[in-house]
Amino acid sequence: MSSVVLSDLCKSFGAIDVIRGVDLVIEPGEFCVFVGPSGCGKSTLLRLIAGLEEATSGTIRIDGKDVTDAEPSARGIAMVFQNYALYPHLTVRDNIGFGLSLARRPKAEIRARVEAAAEALQLTHLLDRKPKELSGGQRQRVAIGRAIVRDPKVFLFDEPLSNLDAALRAQMRIELSDLHRKLGATMIYVTHDQVEAMTMADKIVVLNGGRIEQVGSPITLYDTPASPFVAGFIGSPRMNLYDGRAVGESCATYGIRPEHLKLTDMAPRWRGTVRHVERLGADTVIHLDVPDLGDMVVRADGDRNPPIGSMLGISPLPGREHRFP
Amino acid sequence: MIFILPFVYILLMAVKTKQEAALFLFAWPSEWRAWENLVEVVQTRNYMLLLAYFNSTVITLGAVTLLVIFGAMVGYVLQRRRSPWNRVVYVFLLIGLMVPPAVVPTIWVLQNLGLFKTIHGMILIQVAYGLSFAVLLYRSFIASIPRALDEAAIIDGARPWQVFFRVILPLLKPVTVTLIVVQSVAIFNDFTNPLYYLPGRENVTVQLTLFNFQSQFQSQYNLLFMNILLVTIPPLLVFVFCNRQIVAGMTSGGVKG
Repeated sequence: MSSVVLSDLCKSFGAIDVIRGVDLVIEPGEFCVFVGPSGCGKSTLLRLIAGLEEATSGTIRIDGKDVTDAEPSARGIAMVFQNYALYPHLTVRDNIGFGLSLARRPKAEIRARVEAAAEALQLTHLLDRKPKELSGGQRQRVAIGRAIVRDPKVFLFDEPLSNLDAALRAQMRIELSDLHRKLGATMIYVTHDQVEAMTMADKIVVLNGGRIEQVGSPITLYDTPASPFVAGFIGSPRMNLYDGRAVGESCATYGIRPEHLKLTDMAPRWRGTVRHVERLGADTVIHLDVPDLGDMVVRADGDRNPPIGSMLGISPLPGREHRFP
Repeated sequence: MIFILPFVYILLMAVKTKQEAALFLFAWPSEWRAWENLVEVVQTRNYMLLLAYFNSTVITLGAVTLLVIFGAMVGYVLQRRRSPWNRVVYVFLLIGLMVPPAVVPTIWVLQNLGLFKTIHGMILIQVAYGLSFAVLLYRSFIASIPRALDEAAIIDGARPWQVFFRVILPLLKPVTVTLIVVQSVAIFNDFTNPLYYLPGRENVTVQLTLFNFQSQFQSQYNLLFMNILLVTIPPLLVFVFCNRQIVAGMTSGGVKG
């Protein structure tokens, strides 16, 4: 278990600043997730930690050791790529053992370690197949096996589940969380999927425009977002955000989550026209047009099915409103 | 028919007697002299054909090996490394493809380097003529190999040459087979370049042995056609055995991880 400490880390590609002064401490054994919209620099930040990109300034410390200028292989990291990056010409066995064979470990040791990793990931029966003969989930497991067998201090994941279908993604989320508990290793995980972030992370780092917007546990970010950006990014459907003056508040931005709005006819704060209804089964997401505010999304019980064009009254739950200065 | 008929004609001519061959008829031979002609062709000028086979094989093997290695390496660096020099190199590659080689200045360069009339000089000439094509072929193929493979290998601890030889080069197999077949047939069959750059009895290549049976005063067409037949066989074998791989190499798209 190792810590990862980033201090004032910057990265520019030519005139474009992609990472602008990131300070971050990832504790040993933590599952840390970087989230943010496309182009926010989350993948670049991961690649800086991996050593695949050179930092323009600042330092990276892994396990207390400055690795800012170290080779990727000398940093004690392993990485799982979005498209798996398995070597197509090698069998699963050789894919997993590739790093060990490069390090010229004895054949018997390679064999033993590859088989142990395969056992842990239920890949034993696939060891002699080529990657093209595997399904998406199996390939992903091989990629994870290749990471495990190196016995790294820190695991890096770059959107590893984005190529899988929804059902498999849910299953792999659980498997990855199990793996984290079993290995107890520090893991850094990049995703743009906030469900993955919320369900897997010990700590979420929200990035925006190359800077950290907020760092905290999933629930902290959900309950007390530091900025309208974080508020809009964490939670699904996203938080309703309005100009403070438009809702009669003194703050700059006023926010209320769809699940913290209730439909009521008793002195509602707002009234809106139903524009669209999404019935998800367990609950119903209602899109309303509210005069002067525009679109407002409400999450209601699954048995609610208001007709399009009808008028509904809405009130916020007390204590769940967010006011951003 | 366009390919088979001439071949049948060569076959028929090669087994005729000298007198019959001189008639140039597309006719069945009255007397079969396949073995005698064969022996005579091989023995002519102190077994010159065997020496020619040896020389041509050495030139072909040497040139194709260098073409594959340098073509793949240059193509890899050009595709993967972003550098302002890429544009310059690219222009030179296109020049290499478009501008026809000038023979006399090339001979002058070879003479000054001490490579004129040498087998390795000839190998370098063939490499120079074929390299642009090889680099462009490899470069476009390497573009279809995800960069994440390189990065995964680097994280696994591979040095740059290990990334190339252990990950990239094996994935280039389809295009390499195509290049080997196309270039080895072209180089083995090359007539003009050995004629210009490789004069001398001891440097003879297979295509040049055809001169043995053609002269101002006397031509032995039966032997000439037997010689043609013998010279055509190696490239033909390459095509027959590699046919499937060539098509696979030309049509295969990307590499799927």
